[in-house]
Amino acid sequence: MSMKGKRERYLPLFFVLPTVIIILIISIFPLIYSFWLSLCEWEIGIGADRVFVGLRNYARLLTDSRFLNSLMNTGRVLFFGVGAQFALGLGVALLLNRSFRGKNLVSTLFLLPMMVSPVVVGCIWRIIYHYRYGPLNYMLNMAGLSSVNWLGSTDMAIYSIILADIWEWTPFMMIVLLAGLQAIPDELYEAARVDGANRWQIFTYMLVPLLRPVMIIVILIRIMDTFKIFDLVFLITFGGPGQASETVSFYNYLTGFRHFSMGYASSMAYFQLAIIVIIANIFLRVWRRREEA
Amino acid sequence: MRYRKNGVNILVFFGLAILLLFFLSPIIWNVLTSFKDRGEYFTYPPVFISSTFSFEYYQHGLAIGGAKGIQDSLIITLSTTAISVILGSLAAYSIARFRIGGDNFAFWILSIRMLPPVASLLPLFLFFRFLRLLDTYEALILTYSIINLPFVVWLMKGFFEELPKELEEAALVDGCSRLGAFTRIALPLVSPGLVATALFCFMFSWNEFIFALILGRSRVVPVTVNIAGMIGGHEILWAEISAVATLASVPIILLAFVLQRFLVRGLTLGAVKG
Repeated sequence: MSMKGKRERYLPLFFVLPTVIIILIISIFPLIYSFWLSLCEWEIGIGADRVFVGLRNYARLLTDSRFLNSLMNTGRVLFFGVGAQFALGLGVALLLNRSFRGKNLVSTLFLLPMMVSPVVVGCIWRIIYHYRYGPLNYMLNMAGLSSVNWLGSTDMAIYSIILADIWEWTPFMMIVLLAGLQAIPDELYEAARVDGANRWQIFTYMLVPLLRPVMIIVILIRIMDTFKIFDLVFLITFGGPGQASETVSFYNYLTGFRHFSMGYASSMAYFQLAIIVIIANIFLRVWRRREEA
Repeated sequence: MRYRKNGVNILVFFGLAILLLFFLSPIIWNVLTSFKDRGEYFTYPPVFISSTFSFEYYQHGLAIGGAKGIQDSLIITLSTTAISVILGSLAAYSIARFRIGGDNFAFWILSIRMLPPVASLLPLFLFFRFLRLLDTYEALILTYSIINLPFVVWLMKGFFEELPKELEEAALVDGCSRLGAFTRIALPLVSPGLVATALFCFMFSWNEFIFALILGRSRVVPVTVNIAGMIGGHEILWAEISAVATLASVPIILLAFVLQRFLVRGLTLGAVKG
């Protein structure tokens, strides 16, 4: 084989190699290493040596009330946050699913909350939630309602984070569902109308089934991202008051990078990963069944 | 009674207007705050439009770390974008044309999105600590490139697959090399996709917070970490924070308008083609 032929044959391999190596570094090395760490006790804050402790970290997780509280809070964000994002996002998408002048501009304006940095979002909401001087309480007072202690009350703090999360991520649901709606050909609407279907029937019998794959994907993505919610907690409440609004990933951060308990933090990350993988598998199974049907 | 109407009736118009107000007013409030004087952002009733309306707090915000933050973010973001787009599109081309291990890629991408940040952050932190690379540009550029790469490969693979093979085959018949076919035929044709992918990398790296918080410290302080740091002090400098936050949002808001066409595809990792 000529020199050129040989070079040509291996070229695709050279193209892929750097990326494959890098991906291996990110997905394989940290996964194995942090699994090994999760079986150890390693307090690097006090300079202690790494000690193998088996599954003790995992046992500790199940009795750690602070961890269980953070798990509950993540559950609240999933249920109320992602739920509201979906409902509201679908509503806006249905409103935008028509043609009018300036539609692109309006859709893009709707997207701004999710485009700006979560850190900026956190700062903005922290000002808005200020008990005495924030615009939100001012508006409540104007409407004749009393001020709400958005960030200082243990019951309220997590819901304040959820409201900011809804504000930030509803646009994501909206834009993806809108893309799904627009992929539905006009002829189907025409056919449904000819058959005498009313709006509600078109929605439940035509749009929902056709949109189902898109709905599943978009909710799954939001669920995976919600487990990682960190920036908003860090900036709006820093988990407070006390530990009232800590989420799993925030407590995970504190354990690893404030208390420097590397082993315990790793086991927490693995526990989280296991839950996410289970949820994702359920969703993907439902999704595939639909694809095949 | 049509479901998908042309034009907007009065009810839909008001519905959209109220929703748009809800989604935009916090951002507008932030911009307004950046022009407020001390004493104007902590008053009751709140001041809506500043009476002084000066750029003083922009200057001060930039002086207390905002300028350094934006500079650091630019260095890191631009390097990351270049690295991940170059390496990623090479790999994507191979996968699209020669089907090297391409079938499992969807799962790889998804599993990286599932990973809790601490699971990858902890080993990376220990790794960079061992190499004495904490608090350097290299650490963040490398980390962000690693995170961006699978995403770039995935998006670019989609764009290359949409390209008809025949164009490159014709070039090969005419005596062009494979590399030539890639750089002279395929790459220019996917350039809109390439630009969109680059912008997504830019957006991710520019907005990222937790990795920057852990891997940077005092010498390398991206703008997100800088803004968050300004909240920690005794007196919270809201005007300065809002000013730097506004500046940090400008490139992203511009990107939003440029990206429109590609947004859905990028955000859903190609699962939904917008």
